[in-house]
Amino acid sequence: MSATRYSATTGLVHEEPLLFEQAHEQHEAMALPGCAAEEAPSPLASFLRQKPAGIPGLSEPEVVRHFVRLSQWNHGIETGFYPLGSCTMKYNPRVHEQIARMPGFAQAHPDQPEDSVQGLLSLLFELQQALGEITGLPHVTLTPAAGAHGELVGIMMIRAWHDARGDDCRRTVLVPDSAHGTNPASASLAGMRTVELKSGPDGQIDLTELKSRLDDRVAALMLTNPNTTGRFESQIAEICDLVHQAGGLVYGDGANLNAIVGKARPGDMGIDCLHINVHKTFATPHGGGGPGAGPVAVNEALAPFLPVPRIERQGEQYRIVRSCPQSIGPVFGSIGQVGVLLRALAYIRAFGRDHLHRIAEDAVLNANYILHRLKDAYHVPFPGLCKHECLLTDKFQNRHGVKTLDLAKRLIDLGFHPMTIYFPLIVHGAMLIEPTETESRRTIDAFCDAMLEIARACEKGEVQPMLDAPTKPFRRRLDETRAARKPVLVWPERANGSSADRS
Amino acid sequence: MRFLPHTEEDRRSMLETIGMTHVDELFADIPERFLLKPGTLELPEAASEAAILRHFGRAASANLHAGQMRCFLGAGTYHHFVPAAVDHVISRGEFLTAYTPYQPEISQGTLQALFEFQTMIARLLDMDVANASMYDAATSVAEAALMARRVTRRDRVLMAESLNPRYRAVTENYLARNGGHICIQPADAFDERDPIPSLARAIDDQTACVIVQYPDFFGRIHALAPLRAACDEHGALLVVAFSDATAFGLIEPPGHFGADIACGSGQALGIPMSFGGPHIGLFACRQRFVRQMPGRVCGMTEDAEGRRGFVLTLSTREQHIRREKATSNICSNQGLMCTAIACHLSLLGDAGIREVAMRSAAALQKLIEQLPPAITPAPGAHYNETVLRFPDGKLRDAFIRAAREAAIFAGIPLETLTDRQTHAADLLVATTEIISAEDIDDYAAVLHRTLEPRK
Repeated sequence: MSATRYSATTGLVHEEPLLFEQAHEQHEAMALPGCAAEEAPSPLASFLRQKPAGIPGLSEPEVVRHFVRLSQWNHGIETGFYPLGSCTMKYNPRVHEQIARMPGFAQAHPDQPEDSVQGLLSLLFELQQALGEITGLPHVTLTPAAGAHGELVGIMMIRAWHDARGDDCRRTVLVPDSAHGTNPASASLAGMRTVELKSGPDGQIDLTELKSRLDDRVAALMLTNPNTTGRFESQIAEICDLVHQAGGLVYGDGANLNAIVGKARPGDMGIDCLHINVHKTFATPHGGGGPGAGPVAVNEALAPFLPVPRIERQGEQYRIVRSCPQSIGPVFGSIGQVGVLLRALAYIRAFGRDHLHRIAEDAVLNANYILHRLKDAYHVPFPGLCKHECLLTDKFQNRHGVKTLDLAKRLIDLGFHPMTIYFPLIVHGAMLIEPTETESRRTIDAFCDAMLEIARACEKGEVQPMLDAPTKPFRRRLDETRAARKPVLVWPERANGSSADRS
Repeated sequence: MRFLPHTEEDRRSMLETIGMTHVDELFADIPERFLLKPGTLELPEAASEAAILRHFGRAASANLHAGQMRCFLGAGTYHHFVPAAVDHVISRGEFLTAYTPYQPEISQGTLQALFEFQTMIARLLDMDVANASMYDAATSVAEAALMARRVTRRDRVLMAESLNPRYRAVTENYLARNGGHICIQPADAFDERDPIPSLARAIDDQTACVIVQYPDFFGRIHALAPLRAACDEHGALLVVAFSDATAFGLIEPPGHFGADIACGSGQALGIPMSFGGPHIGLFACRQRFVRQMPGRVCGMTEDAEGRRGFVLTLSTREQHIRREKATSNICSNQGLMCTAIACHLSLLGDAGIREVAMRSAAALQKLIEQLPPAITPAPGAHYNETVLRFPDGKLRDAFIRAAREAAIFAGIPLETLTDRQTHAADLLVATTEIISAEDIDDYAAVLHRTLEPRK
């Protein structure tokens, strides 16, 4: 048995052993309700587990302290600025947590009778309507579990639309080289072949390149607007027209919807199908990697192909429709990430028609303000107006032997979560900064000051702090190569000291 | 607007810094014809927090839920007890409002919790490794099938009909656009014969994997050894799916039967039902397949000073590096649910998990013992779920209605899940440790009352 370790918190810095290292004999199990039993039911006799799993059971005070101490090693939006480009890390209203935990939602079973969940269905229906209105694409599925899942669903629908027209040779999806990695991965999963579109020198879609790739095998163009350089594709109408004339459809990656929410609608621009990352635009918490939700909004043409189940209103009743003739079918085990979706609706309701556009206005103002303050100290690959995020590179700092990773790690020592780094792939040493609408001017100025301080230090040749960074957290840079070369994904030691290897 | 910190003066002076006088200039790159007039979207008016709480509160109270009803519903979602500490831990802003841990030095909390989660899941399922979650059980099974096709470079996927129809449908849907073929081996809840040998015989040299649910969709438990043998003979992978992972506190886990991949739902391990989501898909496999695994994984490493730390690893499998050649398109997963499960399982420990399972199984056994003779339970060994066959569909539906009057959600009409009219008199019933002896007495009493007029 591993020695039980305790680590005190000194000056709010602490170590915290793994749960498995804290394991001790479990003197009594948690008291539980229900039907106590001395023995397992006899039909199970020949199936009984012979060797316990080896999951340490600790008392509640120990468990709570363990996880709270772990939590204190995390940066979160509630603890500080989180300017990750393309991730839209905005404040997550606390009332959303109360809502999702209301027993009428949290304790509803997905297969309880439809007439016993009318309240919940009415809200989900309301969300469908709202997302349809906001995107200008009136038909919405709430089911996709995340943005990438939404992409898969969207491409499946586009494929089905072509097939239904007898145009079943269209299996190519055009994806700009600036796109999120999920775009080509989702297209592949939908059985499509991706062709990469090279961006123009301004980081925008190059119409000549687009035209040269359009043929009778192209099912769709997947595009992100504003794109991942943070700039709006102003030729969006021409792009959509070209794709439509060639018989294809336009898929919109809604990851950057925060830039235009309430200001303009993808559907009006000619986009046929769009997923919405509600964990970005509509402030549902990221949870350290999820859960998110990726509803997909489509126009009339694609509506018949929406996945099932669907939520429909029939008179005063809300119905869950589980089968539709042209549907692409089910893509998830339930109707969706309901708890996440309710939070998104609450955010939309808080802003309402009066204020929704102010999300985009402040988000875009903040990004342009940062761009303006940093544009002399950092290389700006694509100058001009940006939308909700701005793109810089490490070109100037490279001269001093400092690269994007070092700059990012130095930001940690200065009290900020780094921006998105090395994305998009079309510029060398990318730094993509997205402040969102929920940051104060004071925070944004402090971030800009920190960035300028880093740039000045580089100019003065004081680069060692960058190369050593981070030094403030309780861990320095972690060896990712070692982790990948010989992966250790589970704790190898058992409570009895033996190793758990089983090959 | 309470979420927007700027004053009008902030906005004015920030615009001035940029060299602008009006906010509209920030949107000059959007063609004018696409710009909306503020306030013209057909949405409700802005609502105060109090008004929002009232709106959602009213909707919530219009629903029935497992806090008021005795819940005998299963089919992949189970009403197990979740201690308050679990919800407290995942409500911590540092867990709740963090992003994917791409900057490990300031994300060790999430990363260590993921590592603990992966370890616990691997141990519970008796598998070598587990990933840091999939969206849900259905997509987890679909990803298992895709992975088996990559590993074996074969196309044929064999599934038992006793796999949850929703997992099956999503898996068929995921596979349908990538060639290959799918075979469904018939299985029925009331067939007395062991379905495993015939499933094993259906494995051939073209088979990438066989997917079997254990306990199966009808709640039955079968020894899977013949499948392992047939998979070895034909070079196929054994994929074991599951719905209620608490089962493995009591019965042998997928690894015991030599599963190559174990995948299913983790909802039963500390996640509220939430009308179907967010839940979590668990995914575990053998060490040697780890580079073909979908989804994120957390690994142990050291920092520049040799201290233990954790990072996301094996990312060359993933979409942000491999793009169209990635093992999966998954990016956001169910991260927070991993922390919830790690917390829940450590509160239970081996003894608690076994106790949850014992009580869940005992409740079903007690229910079966109290059934009137006119009701036939499915034969064979069951954990906490089974199918009850009524004399006819009308009686079954009358019972469901009567039970609801007595604050009982009695079960799920089986044909609504399987789409088979032969199931129109069948009821899928599940129990957990929340179901008390009194709940079962009440259930049985309503059942007897419903059947009485037949005497």
